[in-house]
Amino acid sequence: MAWIRQIRNFFRPDGLQRDLHRELAFHVAERAEELRQSGMSEPEADRAAHRQFGNLTAQIERTRDMDIPEHLEAMLRNLRLSVRSLAKAPGFSATVILTLALGIGANSAVFSAIDAVLLRPLPFPNGDALLLITQAQRKNPEPNVAPVRLEDWNHMNSTLLGITGYYAQDSSELSGELPEKLKCEFVAPRFLQVLGVSPALGRDFAPQEEHDGGPTAALISDRLWRRRFNASPDVLTKALRFGKTSYAIIGVMPPSFHFPDRDADVWVISAPDYPFARSRELTWFTAIGRLKPAVTLAQARADLNTVQADLARQFPKPDADISPRVELLKESTVGGAERSLWILFGSVSLLLLIACTNIAALLMSRATGRQQEIAVRFSLGATRASVAAVQLAEVFVLALAGAALGLLVAMGASTVFRSLASDLPRIDEIALNWHIVLYCLACALVTTLLSGIIPALRSTRRSLSQSLAQAGRSQVSGRNPLQLTLVAAQVALAVALLGGAGLLLRSFQELGRVYPGFDPKHILTLHVSTTWAETGDQPGSKQRTDRILEGLRSLPGVQSAASTAFLPGVPNAYELDMTTAEGRAESEPKIRALARFVTPSYFATLSIPLLAGEMCRDGAGQPLAMVNRTFADRYLNGSAAIGHHLLAAGNSYIPPVAIDGIVGDAREAGLDREPQPTVYWCNNGLQPGTFFLVRTHGDPAALTEAVRHKLHELEPLRSVYDITPLSAHISDAYAENRLRTILLACFALTAVSLASIGLYGTLSYLVSLRRREVALRLALGALRNQVVGQFLGVGLRTAALGCAAGLVLAAGFARLLSGMLFGVSPTDSLTIAGVLTVVLAVSAAASLIPAVRAARVEPMQALREE
Amino acid sequence: MGEKKNDILQGTLVLLVLRTLASSKRMHGYAITARIHQVSEDLLRVGEGSLYPALHRMEQEGWIKAEWGKTEKNREARFYSLTALGRKRLQQEEESWRRLTEGVARVIRYA
Repeated sequence: MAWIRQIRNFFRPDGLQRDLHRELAFHVAERAEELRQSGMSEPEADRAAHRQFGNLTAQIERTRDMDIPEHLEAMLRNLRLSVRSLAKAPGFSATVILTLALGIGANSAVFSAIDAVLLRPLPFPNGDALLLITQAQRKNPEPNVAPVRLEDWNHMNSTLLGITGYYAQDSSELSGELPEKLKCEFVAPRFLQVLGVSPALGRDFAPQEEHDGGPTAALISDRLWRRRFNASPDVLTKALRFGKTSYAIIGVMPPSFHFPDRDADVWVISAPDYPFARSRELTWFTAIGRLKPAVTLAQARADLNTVQADLARQFPKPDADISPRVELLKESTVGGAERSLWILFGSVSLLLLIACTNIAALLMSRATGRQQEIAVRFSLGATRASVAAVQLAEVFVLALAGAALGLLVAMGASTVFRSLASDLPRIDEIALNWHIVLYCLACALVTTLLSGIIPALRSTRRSLSQSLAQAGRSQVSGRNPLQLTLVAAQVALAVALLGGAGLLLRSFQELGRVYPGFDPKHILTLHVSTTWAETGDQPGSKQRTDRILEGLRSLPGVQSAASTAFLPGVPNAYELDMTTAEGRAESEPKIRALARFVTPSYFATLSIPLLAGEMCRDGAGQPLAMVNRTFADRYLNGSAAIGHHLLAAGNSYIPPVAIDGIVGDAREAGLDREPQPTVYWCNNGLQPGTFFLVRTHGDPAALTEAVRHKLHELEPLRSVYDITPLSAHISDAYAENRLRTILLACFALTAVSLASIGLYGTLSYLVSLRRREVALRLALGALRNQVVGQFLGVGLRTAALGCAAGLVLAAGFARLLSGMLFGVSPTDSLTIAGVLTVVLAVSAAASLIPAVRAARVEPMQALREE
Repeated sequence: MGEKKNDILQGTLVLLVLRTLASSKRMHGYAITARIHQVSEDLLRVGEGSLYPALHRMEQEGWIKAEWGKTEKNREARFYSLTALGRKRLQQEEESWRRLTEGVARVIRYA
């Protein structure tokens, strides 16, 4: 353990020195004493003892070397030296530190997002053991699970600690003065046990509260507790009221608990033994489970499949058609964000690489200026390694400063992430922690090596340094291909990034330009609270919808109003397999279509044209449906479709309908997707989550208050919430797209500026190196234009070389992005042309300044400096 | 570290110090030189220049440990004593010394 003691000594240099002095001085004193005893006089004995011992300071030094780690000390010496020499070059230091702060900061910022979203486990104890369990019915994925089946799975399996489930409903809470919409999570028994979380105040549900007929109890969120109950502990004596039921508040969840929804307010039990929950056909829970320790995902899958096979024997209908699907909850939470984040991370890594290259070129220029200093060191006997170490230490000092600033950038970036993409999964978990700090340090180390090694090795080549030390002042012309190559590499990387950003920007632009088949402008959307229980009374819920729509239409400024289960243009692919009552030949394609549930006024409100047949009407007795043109053309020979009867295969909720008419194609399931075959059920029952759409004459947001008043008048016990223009919903749906486009564009612009700074710096350096040569040529009659042309040529040739290499890189990058593009091909010539124009124009500007400066050299003055 | 020319001597010094410390509970540096001097009947003389670096190196290796204490004349001195690791080391050093002298003796006798 020698090194531990050595390091300890390293941190107490003064104490060590004192101890050594005491110990050695004792030795000398003892010797003097002995000599005195043998008869010497006191001063004589002292002198003799000292003479014999030798130089005390040198002895202390030599002994001390045994007590401290040599490398550590040398490193510290190098660092001290670096700080001193960097302080003498503030311009250089500031440039490098800022470049690195940008590079490392952007990199760490994206890393912090990756760390929070992808790497860290879900914010539950042992969150990586949580599973999402869904069921597939005849291969159709059906996200929800029947309560009875969930209970069966829970007690029959042997690989899971427990299975629970939840569904959400926006409910109207009635204990206050006005009804307030709260997000209610209806949960299956064992909810908190499976998640491994306890309430911060109060208790979990008791067993009797998890059954039908038991006491009704509610857990509330920290947010609701603070807002409604002023964070008072006597909340546990209060109750919430939904409809006719009162729920005693038994606990408050910790502030970090936001499961399953970020805005969850209340958790109440949905007992699996409610009479209406006993059917094996009714599915409503999203099921989650927790793996037993040391059980793998594959084992859990196999186990649940066995369990389901048993259930299929017991209840052939419908369990024989059902198979469980198991995946890690984390993977399903993160979903598609993963690819975007890795692409962003790749981009910022390229950015950091550009920064490193930039610094490498700067360092090389600086090292050439210091050849004499280096030569002096060599002549004083320094080894190549120690001279190179001094230079690396310099870079490391700069990199550390850059990383520290970068950490600040990364801290600020989480705010940017949140404002740009508030819907990104787990976005609120992004925070500064020691992962990020360590990562910044690692970045500093890597950048030191990447940008420092080549300059350090090159400048310490002995032959070169010696010859240059002598020739330094009379040098006429030197070629510096390596520096220019580095600049070209920067340009290449910048072109690749700019190309990628350009493609994303063009996609974004195309997305804004496409006509989606409906008119999303001037539409206001809103929710009116209701419960699933109320949907049992179909006629009642239809009347309610009609009353609300009538009320909305009566408002001044409203053109029309409708309701729908899904918003158009917002990705939501609820698809169904269907057959026709008329029968279909085997050779005909199987019908699979997007299912939408709308009121007849939906088409007029969204300006979707009627193409054939009639617009469906309400209360016409038999349920009716509309299909879009693609559906009719693909499956039922166009207008012959009218009059056919559609059945949703294996879905008892959805009644058979007759096709009444054909409407135009609309991009229902997302602006970036071609219209799919779509069936619209003309059904206006009010359900939790139903959207009301209002077409207004003017700005839709201006009607917010009027709508609120009118509906409060009509339905005093319901809350009206989420009053938002349709365009805002659509734009939010593409937030991830927006995030990646904006960030990549920022990175690309930074890359281009870094590369142009690199070009400018290197060229300026070349010009300064060749001042005398230029002066000589000017004195001999060269034209200033020729000088400008020459340096401009060097700059543009370098940039052109970089562009050529960059186009190859950009093609690779575009391939990676291809799944995220809309309306542009990865080899879009407009983008390529734009990128080349920008890069070459910036390069020309960056080269022109040093070139003009070169031509302004005063020959006589420059030559006299010699 | 140290003069290269007396590498062997340095190795021997470790053996001498360990052996000296093995025979006593604890000793300070001056006492160690005096003891070696005395036992070898003036044949061996430990240079102060190499003693203290050697002692400190051995301490870092963990063969000996040091503590401050008072001499019988009530002076502050740094006392060294052998550790278990040092005892093991001493055996190895003695063994290799024995082999070295035996080898050298054979060469002198038979070569």
